[in-house]
Amino acid sequence: MVNDRGQLYTIEGIAASMIMLFTTFLVLNATTVYTPGDSHISDMQLEQIGTDSLRMMNMQENGSAGTNPLIAGTSPLQDMVDNLPVVNGAIAPAPDAFDPTNAFNVTFTNYVDNKTGSETDNLHYTASVTYYDIANKTTGSLLLSANRNLSGVEHPVRVTEWVIAYRPVPGDVTLTEPRVVLVEVLLWRD
Amino acid sequence: MRTKRNDAGNLSIDFLVGFTIFMVTFIYVATLIPSLFLNLQGYSIDYNAVAYRTGVILVEDPGMPYNPPWESLPVSYEGNILRFGLALSDGTTTIPNVLSTVKINQFFCSTWVYPDDYESRALFGSYPYHFNISLQTAGSNVTRSVGEVLPENYGYSRRVVKVKEESYATIGPDTGSWHPDYRTDDYNVTTHLFTIFLNYTALSENGPYYNNPAYQINPISPMGEGIMVNLTDLENTTDTVYDAAHGIPPPLINLTDIQVERSVMVYNGYGYSPSNKGFTPVQGSYELYIDGNSTAYSFTPTTPPLNITSNVSLVINPFTLNSWGSQGINPSGKITALNITLQFELSHGDGFLNSTQSQPYGAFDYNYDPANVTQPALQDGVMEVAVW
Repeated sequence: MVNDRGQLYTIEGIAASMIMLFTTFLVLNATTVYTPGDSHISDMQLEQIGTDSLRMMNMQENGSAGTNPLIAGTSPLQDMVDNLPVVNGAIAPAPDAFDPTNAFNVTFTNYVDNKTGSETDNLHYTASVTYYDIANKTTGSLLLSANRNLSGVEHPVRVTEWVIAYRPVPGDVTLTEPRVVLVEVLLWRD
Repeated sequence: MRTKRNDAGNLSIDFLVGFTIFMVTFIYVATLIPSLFLNLQGYSIDYNAVAYRTGVILVEDPGMPYNPPWESLPVSYEGNILRFGLALSDGTTTIPNVLSTVKINQFFCSTWVYPDDYESRALFGSYPYHFNISLQTAGSNVTRSVGEVLPENYGYSRRVVKVKEESYATIGPDTGSWHPDYRTDDYNVTTHLFTIFLNYTALSENGPYYNNPAYQINPISPMGEGIMVNLTDLENTTDTVYDAAHGIPPPLINLTDIQVERSVMVYNGYGYSPSNKGFTPVQGSYELYIDGNSTAYSFTPTTPPLNITSNVSLVINPFTLNSWGSQGINPSGKITALNITLQFELSHGDGFLNSTQSQPYGAFDYNYDPANVTQPALQDGVMEVAVW
């Protein structure tokens, strides 16, 4: 005698297994969640490289005189900041042909992209110099250099270095006192 | 009478089949669950943290012990080395990211066994990590490394550094430290004493940039830096210049003796000068490189005269300099000075090698004057630490 009364459990078992397999399939194909715990590592590595690079740029290369025409014994970063042409005419561009924007670009990208093997990294940055304008009691900022403009979709990290500037910055009331300015770099990877 | 059938004690085939299908699928799905959490496990975070920590230890720390520095300890004392660190330090100030050449050489030295020696002194973990530490300086395509070949995924830390190179002096006929009349007959002598003068206090206390250790020529422990003096073009600077066409042979220049003497410097009312007790001889080791030969020559006072054709380089390693100056600046305000004298005998007399007309104390002053000594330079470099 054939009847279908005895197949109910089988159908139920098959249905349950289908549901389980389908659920597993859905979960396995779901987008991997990029947790904050993972993203901070690459941010930290970028910050580390950027901070190291600025610190090394702000260090004199040897015990002899530096390249700054004004002050002997300055670091490359100081030379760049000191020779930055100021747009509002407070100081004239440096008398020599030293191009601080290009110099920063060459030196900084060399530092942040350099690796021990033959391959190099490819990082992007924008760098600016922030100073306090004593005369107007405001904070001003000058673009130092950039190898790509920020469009807003990047996820940059910010690294900074305090630099002693020997040339006056805009708003300085005296022309003789060295000043501290902040070199600020936004650094990101594609 | 009707027979009563009772199947309550039996499982139907239907149930068995259905339950089996369910269980097989359930077990299969259960085995997939661990792989669901593959992306969430923390190993990559841990590896990155260990790489970061190792990078910081190597680049920002001078190591332990730091005075006398770990790199100066002989192999038999390697158990005393608790931590590797490559940062430059003069004992009070450590310059992060500026690495000592001596420490780097010792760190990548074949004395150490990968991975055990490095794991216990640089990585510090109970987990048996695999790692690779590499260092490359600018202008060099040679990468110094220790460890294994990198796998596909690893924790990573990259540090931008500077490597402090040692100072050296190259002295040829154009160097101003010679007496200007060296070719005149007045200096026609055959025995020549060339003396190098090291004023330990001036070197360790009056360095450039507020005595920043990164720019010092510091012979006092724990800085550990050597010096090198190259005497060049000896054959072209004698009165009788080598001329094969006219049958004039090259001058015969023999190095006959090297003496190292130490004195204390005392204040004489005008400045510091060697005490009236004079210089006392000290023993130590140094290396000689003759005529561009890359193999060091071991010279002792009992060695027969050493013939030199063109040039001689005297290399004094940092630990020898440390031990010669180990009295350093002594409590009574006296300071150490060192005279290293090379004695040459020439077949033709002339005045070239004779430095006794130089100032001060008739010696070549190894100091912070760039005209005398090529100052220690900081070379760009990059260090990578990979851990997996």
